[in-house]
Amino acid sequence: MAIGFKDIKAKYRELFVVEKSPEEKNKPKDIKKMAKDFWYGKPHEERRLGDLYVGNTGLYKHREWRGVKDTMYYFNMIWLYNYAHMVTDIMKYGGGPQGVVTFAKGTMRYRWMGQTYLTVMHWFDRGLEGTRGEAMKASAWHYRGMVSETIRQFMRMFEADKKLNGGEENETWKKTIAHNETLSGNIFYGWRDQLDDVALEMIPYFVSVHVNNHTVLNYIDAAQSIGLPADPCPMCQAEYGLFVQDDYPDYSPVMLTTNEACDGSVATSVLQDWFLNRPLYAMPQPMRYDDPLVQKNCQKEIEGAWKFVEENFGIKMDWDQYVKHAQNFNKLTEFEWEKWDVAANTPYYPITGVAQALYRIYYSQDGDRPIWHEMDAHVKRIMDKCVKNKIETFPKTRHRAIAWSCAPLYYSHWCTWAYNCWGINCVINMDSLMFDQYLRTDTYEHALEDLSWFNEKAPMRAMAVGGHEHILSLFDYMERFNCDMVIMYDQLQCKGMQGIHGVFEDEFRKRNIHAIWVPHALPDKRTVSRAEIRDIINDYMTTVMREEPLDPSLLDFDDGGSW
Amino acid sequence: MSKILKFFFKLLRIALLIYGILFAVFYYDLDGKFLYYIWEPLMIKRFDNMKRPDATAMPYSMKESVEDTSI
Repeated sequence: MAIGFKDIKAKYRELFVVEKSPEEKNKPKDIKKMAKDFWYGKPHEERRLGDLYVGNTGLYKHREWRGVKDTMYYFNMIWLYNYAHMVTDIMKYGGGPQGVVTFAKGTMRYRWMGQTYLTVMHWFDRGLEGTRGEAMKASAWHYRGMVSETIRQFMRMFEADKKLNGGEENETWKKTIAHNETLSGNIFYGWRDQLDDVALEMIPYFVSVHVNNHTVLNYIDAAQSIGLPADPCPMCQAEYGLFVQDDYPDYSPVMLTTNEACDGSVATSVLQDWFLNRPLYAMPQPMRYDDPLVQKNCQKEIEGAWKFVEENFGIKMDWDQYVKHAQNFNKLTEFEWEKWDVAANTPYYPITGVAQALYRIYYSQDGDRPIWHEMDAHVKRIMDKCVKNKIETFPKTRHRAIAWSCAPLYYSHWCTWAYNCWGINCVINMDSLMFDQYLRTDTYEHALEDLSWFNEKAPMRAMAVGGHEHILSLFDYMERFNCDMVIMYDQLQCKGMQGIHGVFEDEFRKRNIHAIWVPHALPDKRTVSRAEIRDIINDYMTTVMREEPLDPSLLDFDDGGSW
Repeated sequence: MSKILKFFFKLLRIALLIYGILFAVFYYDLDGKFLYYIWEPLMIKRFDNMKRPDATAMPYSMKESVEDTSI
């Protein structure tokens, strides 16, 4: 097929040229204004961010010009800094330059690695779109923390992986604990000096969907291809689809699972037990988690998990290690409370809704790791500056929103879009408010009691499927965070939350609250597309709120093929 | 001295050139375009054609008897 000059020119225009409207073309040139826009960036209402996209790909014809200062910060301290640190992290966690070889082997072996994680800088772009100054900087540090911790985990998996090491059960394999992604890493603090714990699905499934949602569809389809039903939670389908496709790293002699978040996870445990064929400990959480009668049972389950690790690895749990990491984790919790205080009571909070949600759920699930402390120190410095100098980080805020229930993983950055398009500032979300538990370490009994509570307040259990009185705590949080709008996630395949839909409708009406229902299917963008989610919000904002968009170019665009 | 200075300026020019190229890659999203149009299709082809063991062929009864770890 011959490619002519016209084709090349058309492709060039498609990929690089931002088309101007006839009105803009005919506008007289204002040099002073152009110089001001170049130096400071365009005002929010003139940005037209939607014009920057290439077709349905989500790629940019060019990345956003944020003014000289912010563009150079983004280029140097976000784009270059993160690409460079990804390489150094791979070497750091891979034991030196040979880490690059291990990384390459993993990239060529696993779809979730080779197809997904190299596109990570676009994850930053989507989450930070339109941000300026301190909001851009602080949110980017949260992303940096998640990237570094992701690299640490997959490098540990690859180093131990029997599949990448010719079937050999090496020393790293013998010293790694595999556990379900909804079983918190803090269970294993007692062995952190001798063993390491890595959640099995966190990197191959959960984080991957946020970075590039194309990969996960293979796993969902694989699960259904062996006759498993299509209507349970697609998160669970994807988790066991990894096994159907033999796309999980074999990095540990054991597996610990849980029934978190719901009964779909029970199926995951059963199927993992079959596919993994190795010692497996299931650590269930009760559905009515705060019933006083179940507390002793929960604590025994944790002790059972500890005994299982001791027996299978032949290493006693080290109480001092537990205390050290639990106390370190408490420092993260204390800073989280500080962040909530600033978010709730001031307009100076410098974190985007998506960075807040993902970082919080990631570190609280993962447990104490040095990178979280490092990132918190950066963010604290920025947040303190914002508060001290009264810097309004999201100055176009028209509505302060709280997001409730579980978010669409393929569109967790909807809140960045909602702020840029409508001035809806998602101040806080349900995922951030889970695990709200200080860990006492003065006695064994207190430690066990708090650890048990911590795990009972795990994803979804505390505020989604753990009893309607907890679900309705939404309204207390709404008041606490001074919100005037609710974004109500409607996970179409979550039977627990679907069952309580009507209760929410009644409560919203009774309390006269603006609530926008956002349907989605967690990792599966085929059920409800991102464009459909935007349409729903657009409709509500125009017909109910009767507002005009801040950036009309973002109302309707196609990103169906985007990561 | 002038040789050292010349060498220094040569290095500076090379560094500035690399920095400029990287900025062009960044600004025009060339990294994204490469990954989207070239890298990802290659990876999809690779992983779609990869031979994988049939995980479902594993007998249900393979598991050894599980010890009671309850307390």
